[in-house]
Amino acid sequence: MEGRWQLKDREAERRLFARRMLVASIVVAFLFAALLVKLINLQVTQYDYFAARADGNRLHSQYVPPARGLIYDRSGELLADNQPIFNLSVVRERVDDIEATLELLSSLIRLAPEDVEQFRERLKRRRVPFSSVPLRYVLTEEEKARVSVNAHRLPGISIEPQFVRSYPTGELNAHAIGYVSEINREELGAFAEDVRENYGGTNHIGKTGIERTYEALLHGEVGYEVVEKNNRGQVMRRLERTDPIAGKNLTLYLENRLQRVATEALGEHRGAVVAIDPTTGGILAMVSKPGFDPNLFVTGISNADYSQLITDTVNTPLFDRTVNPYPPASTVKPFIGLGGLQHGFTDTDTVIQDPGYFRLPGVRYRWGDYTLRTAIGGGHGETNLQRAIFQSCDTFFYDLGYRMGIDTIHSFLSQFGFGQNFALDVGYARTGVLPSREWKQATRNEPWYPGDTINSSIGQGYMWATPLQLATATAIVANKGVVVKPRMLAAIDGEPFQPQDPNPAGNVQVDNPEHWRYIEESMTMVVHRPYSEVFRDYGTAYEAIARADRDMSYKMAGKSGSAQVVSIAQDILQSEDIDVSDLNKDHALFVAYAPAQHPTINPQIAVAVFVENGQHGSSVAGPVAKAIIDSFLLDILEIDFTALATDPDALLSEGSDRVRQADENSPSFVAVNAEHEGHRHD
Amino acid sequence: MKASSNRDFVRQSNVSFSQPRRLRSFWQIIHIDPILLAGLLALCGFGLFVLNSATGGDPETIIRQAGTMGIGLVVMCAVAQFDSQFYRRWAPTAYVLALFILGLVLVIGAEKNGAKSWLDLPGLPSFQPSELLKFIVPMLLAWYLASRALPPNLKHVFWAGVFTLLPAALIVLQNDMGTALMVTMSGIFVVLLAGLRWRVVFAGIFAAVIASPAWYLFLAQPHQKNRILTFFDPYRDPTGAGYNIIQSQIAIGSGGIYGKGYGNGAQSHLDFIPESNTDFILAVLAEEFGLIGVLVLIALYLFVIIRGARIALSASDMFGRLLAGSITLTFFLYLFVNMSMVSGLLPVIGLPLPLISRGGTAVVTLFIGFGLLMSIQTHRVTQPVR
Repeated sequence: MEGRWQLKDREAERRLFARRMLVASIVVAFLFAALLVKLINLQVTQYDYFAARADGNRLHSQYVPPARGLIYDRSGELLADNQPIFNLSVVRERVDDIEATLELLSSLIRLAPEDVEQFRERLKRRRVPFSSVPLRYVLTEEEKARVSVNAHRLPGISIEPQFVRSYPTGELNAHAIGYVSEINREELGAFAEDVRENYGGTNHIGKTGIERTYEALLHGEVGYEVVEKNNRGQVMRRLERTDPIAGKNLTLYLENRLQRVATEALGEHRGAVVAIDPTTGGILAMVSKPGFDPNLFVTGISNADYSQLITDTVNTPLFDRTVNPYPPASTVKPFIGLGGLQHGFTDTDTVIQDPGYFRLPGVRYRWGDYTLRTAIGGGHGETNLQRAIFQSCDTFFYDLGYRMGIDTIHSFLSQFGFGQNFALDVGYARTGVLPSREWKQATRNEPWYPGDTINSSIGQGYMWATPLQLATATAIVANKGVVVKPRMLAAIDGEPFQPQDPNPAGNVQVDNPEHWRYIEESMTMVVHRPYSEVFRDYGTAYEAIARADRDMSYKMAGKSGSAQVVSIAQDILQSEDIDVSDLNKDHALFVAYAPAQHPTINPQIAVAVFVENGQHGSSVAGPVAKAIIDSFLLDILEIDFTALATDPDALLSEGSDRVRQADENSPSFVAVNAEHEGHRHD
Repeated sequence: MKASSNRDFVRQSNVSFSQPRRLRSFWQIIHIDPILLAGLLALCGFGLFVLNSATGGDPETIIRQAGTMGIGLVVMCAVAQFDSQFYRRWAPTAYVLALFILGLVLVIGAEKNGAKSWLDLPGLPSFQPSELLKFIVPMLLAWYLASRALPPNLKHVFWAGVFTLLPAALIVLQNDMGTALMVTMSGIFVVLLAGLRWRVVFAGIFAAVIASPAWYLFLAQPHQKNRILTFFDPYRDPTGAGYNIIQSQIAIGSGGIYGKGYGNGAQSHLDFIPESNTDFILAVLAEEFGLIGVLVLIALYLFVIIRGARIALSASDMFGRLLAGSITLTFFLYLFVNMSMVSGLLPVIGLPLPLISRGGTAVVTLFIGFGLLMSIQTHRVTQPVR
């Protein structure tokens, strides 16, 4: 070993090293060349592909939902608004472990099992990849902060502002306006392709009421935008944008002040109120009580809230009583009486002797007079049509109806919209039943019996009508036969709206105009005919309306009704020892219009009031109608009847001006105006 | 021991007693190689420039990185002040000390990013002792082989292997495969440059090829298998294991020939590229400066590598040659592995892009290597390289 170093050939070793370095250089050059080939492949050959991939990474085309149209009442009060809320949204594609993320989120914010359940349901729907799916609506400020702080642990989770429906009047207009709620798979599936596209950015859809009827107008047109997003899905900037077109703002005939008055007047009762402007058919009030808070539905009603709404089988707050049928009872008497006059089955002079019951020829069964069942026995005595109306004499109408026959009753009453839905934009209203031989055969497979006619003549038996139908029919009487169809929508974006009527109806055929006057007089007597020496000679609603307000400055035409809920025999109902539960009490009804018999002003409002189990039409439903009419004529239209009475000509223009000022855009002032010009019904 | 000290004496006497043939230049006096320095400064400048964009213009990071580079340059100059014979003399001591520290790390080391390779000594910045092995191992092997007849016989190769694998095994125990691989390679480079016979080289390559399936089947850990599977098909898990490589390829490819312009790299600025400051910074560079930018970078690297090769070739003794050659090739391997993994030519191995990626210890280590090159270059008594 000692001499090993001497054997080292330094020059040979240097050359060996140099050769090895040469080999290394060649290898290095070769490897660089390989790298270069790879880079050229990426950056030159596949440039187009990767450039497109890079754009696909960062550029996202997304829908911009349009702002939903607002809804105003006829005085410009906002009934449906849009309010910003903050939602927690999830881009599923960016979340690795959805369960872990949900668990973490539930430790940060309130996340109910139903939120998660609904979220999973939403995930199953058709959607654009990388679109965000709402998980929780309406985050509080504190929840927003907590999520933001933990954002790095929550990839794919974002807080998104959104405008959602808000109903400032809450319960008051719940049934009429309806509500929007989250769109479901069935609704999306029912859309045509282009409509579905239009709903690309929309989470909500109108479910009931106006929101549903005018969904197409309110929704607007979806916009699009191309945004640049980073790896976490945050939008960094907007590159292209097609603005959405906001939905149309709707102005309704509905008057929020009347809604409030009607709701208050109903008090603790369940019931419905519909008021119509007879000139236009515009629905001024449409209240079903009890209502519900429509705001609950907008961001997904909780199970607890919902089950509370649907399990209340007595109050049934979700049930819209304005468009559901009940026996109209005595409120149909003016219509039947008018039909009797028109078709010659009676005249203004015909008088019958009322023993308090009616008996078909050759039949032992006696149809009692319901209106008298709680009073002293016996009948009304000598009764003509007028008295039969203001005293609500059943016997007279049993006889008249029996003689008219169901065919005549059916054909005459159908002119008023009974048995049909006259409403132009309340498509969800039910039609009730205006019975006929054909109807009974078709639905019951039974022939029509004379006794059926007798029940129908006083609005019981098979006859069913909705409060909306009663208000419509009353408005037609107020118009002396001019048919107006009820409608909600007055103007779109401020432009007056004239709806198309696919089935225009002719006016009610009454050959002698005197008969209209006679019926109006009779109905006015219902409200205004005072107590006198004469036996049973007062209007049924006199005590509750005209006597209760001796300063009443205008006249009101009305008719009360008390509809039997179940067929409980009279003697049982009268019995003291049987406790008649509230739910078995009669439904109270009252129809009215005003002003009646006014020399210069035509009727401005027709009202139908239905009070469930209210028992007495005149004393329970009557004052509700009075309150609404007072509010409309005196507070809203500000008609000064006292001044008009003393100096009609001088004050009329002032009065009508005031009406005009009160509601500039409302068609209802036209009525007063037209009346002033004096050729309205010609 | 006697023989060894004897040899040392002879070797030293061979080089140190002759006089310089001409006046030393200024650079020789301060022991700095201006050409290498120029190349390194250019690389550092370019690196800071790219890092500025990759960090989205975060001045704090840039200043810290520039500071690290400054420290590196100072360390490089300091290292260059010592004669390469000094390093040769102290190589065995340094090696033993390094093994001791590696053992110490296993006992008291701190863990970062899954590797227990950091040493946190009070009063010192925390650092990875395993980094030092990248030049201590070639230094030891150069010391060991230079004094023996070359090409080395099998016995010397065996011992060289032991000297290399001993620290590498300790580093593997620290769970730092990347560094272990680089340390092993730096040792292999010395042996290869020392003239390991080709038949042994090919036999070794052949054995590796034969053994790799067995390694894959029986020894590879799941994450290693995963990386290899991902390398062959990144789209088998595009949002998971394949995400990095897919996104970096998109960034590089979408850069095209001319790039998207400085600061316009959407892939990096929108955070699609993970670790865009460190291992994947090449993707940022390629996206913003295109193929041309990458070519500039390669040119700068080539400049440094060629300079390193010239220094190795003109070194006055075998120790200097082997050490300089190994340092240069290790530097090349570093950048090649990084560029290849980012562009999809190799499976993902966690190595930074030298002098471009953000980093601390690794940068200083690189400069120690360049300091050694300068030492070898400037302490020669024979004719210096032009």
